[in-house]
Amino acid sequence: MREPAATAHTAFVNGVALWAPRIPGWNVAAPVLRGEAAAADQPAPRPVPAVLAPTERRRAPDTVAIALEVAARACESAGADPRELASVFACTEGDLAISDYMSETLVRTPTLISPIRFHNSVHNAAAGYWCIGTGCMQPYTALSAHTDTFGEGMLEALVQAQSAGRPTLLVAYDIEARGPLSTMAHSKGMVGAGAVVSPRAGAASLARIRWRAVRGTRRTEPLVRNAELVAGNAMAACLPFFEAIALEEARTVRFGLSPTMLLEMEFDFPTRNDGSSP
Amino acid sequence: MAQTQTPQQQELAELIVSALNLEGVDPGGIDPDAPLFGSGLGLDSIDALELALEISKRYGVQLKAEDEDNKRIFASLRALTDHILERRTI
Amino acid sequence: MKPLRVTGHSVACAAGIGQRALSNALRNGASGLRQNDFSEFPLTTWIGRVAGVEDVRLPDHLKEWDCRNNRLAWLALTADGFLERAVAVRSRYGADRVALVVGTSTSSIGATEEAYRRLLPDGQYPEDLRRPIVHTPHSLGDFVRVALGLEGIVVTVGTACSSSAKVFAQAERLMSLGLVDAAVVGGVDSLCGSVLFGFNSLELVSPEPCRPFDISRRGISIGEAGGFALLERNGERGPWLLGYGESSDAYHMSSPHPEGLGARLAMVAALERAGLKPDAVNYINMHGTASQKNDEVEAQVVASLFPATTRASSTKGWTGHALGAAGILESVITFAAMEMGTAPGTLNARELDPSCGPQIRVLNEAADIRVALSNSFGFGGSNCSLLFGRDQDA
Repeated sequence: MREPAATAHTAFVNGVALWAPRIPGWNVAAPVLRGEAAAADQPAPRPVPAVLAPTERRRAPDTVAIALEVAARACESAGADPRELASVFACTEGDLAISDYMSETLVRTPTLISPIRFHNSVHNAAAGYWCIGTGCMQPYTALSAHTDTFGEGMLEALVQAQSAGRPTLLVAYDIEARGPLSTMAHSKGMVGAGAVVSPRAGAASLARIRWRAVRGTRRTEPLVRNAELVAGNAMAACLPFFEAIALEEARTVRFGLSPTMLLEMEFDFPTRNDGSSP
Repeated sequence: MAQTQTPQQQELAELIVSALNLEGVDPGGIDPDAPLFGSGLGLDSIDALELALEISKRYGVQLKAEDEDNKRIFASLRALTDHILERRTI
Repeated sequence: MKPLRVTGHSVACAAGIGQRALSNALRNGASGLRQNDFSEFPLTTWIGRVAGVEDVRLPDHLKEWDCRNNRLAWLALTADGFLERAVAVRSRYGADRVALVVGTSTSSIGATEEAYRRLLPDGQYPEDLRRPIVHTPHSLGDFVRVALGLEGIVVTVGTACSSSAKVFAQAERLMSLGLVDAAVVGGVDSLCGSVLFGFNSLELVSPEPCRPFDISRRGISIGEAGGFALLERNGERGPWLLGYGESSDAYHMSSPHPEGLGARLAMVAALERAGLKPDAVNYINMHGTASQKNDEVEAQVVASLFPATTRASSTKGWTGHALGAAGILESVITFAAMEMGTAPGTLNARELDPSCGPQIRVLNEAADIRVALSNSFGFGGSNCSLLFGRDQDA
């Protein structure tokens, strides 16, 4: 049966960021994704969220550290001022370490809950810290869509960019599950992914994409050789986006939006002859 | 020059540094009479709550936000230590 | 912005399940707050607990998602004929052309808390709780997806107390870009140890029923609630979404900007998007949590932006602060106010704080509410203001 054509929009990827312990940053990740270099043997320690003032920095849990690292690097990559960007923070499982802590503490000593850890437990903690650290008063959102969190986060960033006619920051991240909760939420390691998307080309855009929401179930898998870099992490589904950017080959990548819906992104890289960006 | 700390002040200084994750702060270097809040260590109201929690767990002394004496109690390491020594139950 | 029609809505809260019960409670000044009888450990506070959540039995095909939060969601879905209306909208446009955008702060973390209490000796969850979907933030969105048979864009928003207000904005963007033709928006948050004892650790919880904007207010009363709304481009009847404004405080995780800059940005943006001036607003449902700082700041911003003729109040004395569900709950309260021709007062307030301007009212007043604003300002500095127009006015 022929589907009616879904509304398609054009957007540009103006900046990216990626962090996982063995590919701690886009500069090291891109050649690894292309198969040109090996990932680091030793995992890098969690990044220090330099954008935060000392008071917030010392309180920042792992989710905030990883999210703010990729948020900052994505803005740098795009040459964008963080204070001017609305943002979308996407996290599948929330702060799994704090969820374990809260549930554990509530069993025996609920009146001894740490106020700092509680206020870090909200799903929008990373987003809140980002705006506090940068002074950005543009709106943010924080969302989850289970295994389709990256797709929904990307969609929301693209929609906001298109709607507002301005660049939007996407930050996607998940950390390792701890304690009994790990028997239900199977996430390992740390992954942070960032992108700045815009309805208009930037000074040095990395890719042009044609995107639409379509019915379907077949999501793009990461390349087999790259999958283990983010294996077991709840945000592993983000990898094909970064492979497309690293490889700079025209291709279509699909992310889940729900069990029956996909975000389809056609990448192309115009004007490559002289090595310049689209 | 900062006064040296009594053993009780040092113990509390160590608790403050660890409870609030004060990276790079040497507990032994905290002047017993310097302000804890605002300037000095730069602690804020949520730090006060966190500290109150750790103090209650360690020493059994309850410190509530509504306590009018809080400004005095939290004024310095010395003041806080003295307050706890008077009231500790653990 | 082209207004969207709210062609259906529903609610389940401490003041009543269904719009009629809620309207009666509003009219009669009947608070839904009660002394805390919920938590496993004692905590002296008042809560907005929804009666009957424990007795809800989900249909067999939804049992996988069973937990307190989703039972409360079910109460709200099945109130006011909402489920039938949603199914009709799904049939009209197609299951993949109706977006689902719902908000919550803790989703079903209560189920995780219970699992930890009843942990088996080997560290496994008890068998009845070994269902991963209820131990993840998207528990709510996924439950409603299956309950309504929706097959398109589905997402759970978690921006603390602004969650189920922001969903309106998110859905509007999806519709105006032509990605979907309609949307189910809403939110659910339920009582759980995390919020009761979490807010207690911040000393934000009142030992008595909350008194928003009162000079002697002592903090919040935590409530639970569920609510939903249907958004369409056109419809025969229903209130209108005229505009929305969103912003961040960029100040502190648990304290609002001292001058309310973010709140002001959100309210002004909502008015601009709707093409309206402040004096067009007849009623403001304020965030008014009864915390020391929120109320002082919000009152000042409202006093500086709006004329004395704009009535304003907080209705959290009726329902408690429903956190992630506050946005949808108070939108539905706003619809009720428009329909009844009554601006609710600020239940439990006796003597208003001096920071309040002439806008804030203590008592219910008869009022011709054609345009209303609803504020939701969240933890982490996330602000959202929604502007609604009454049924019949386009």
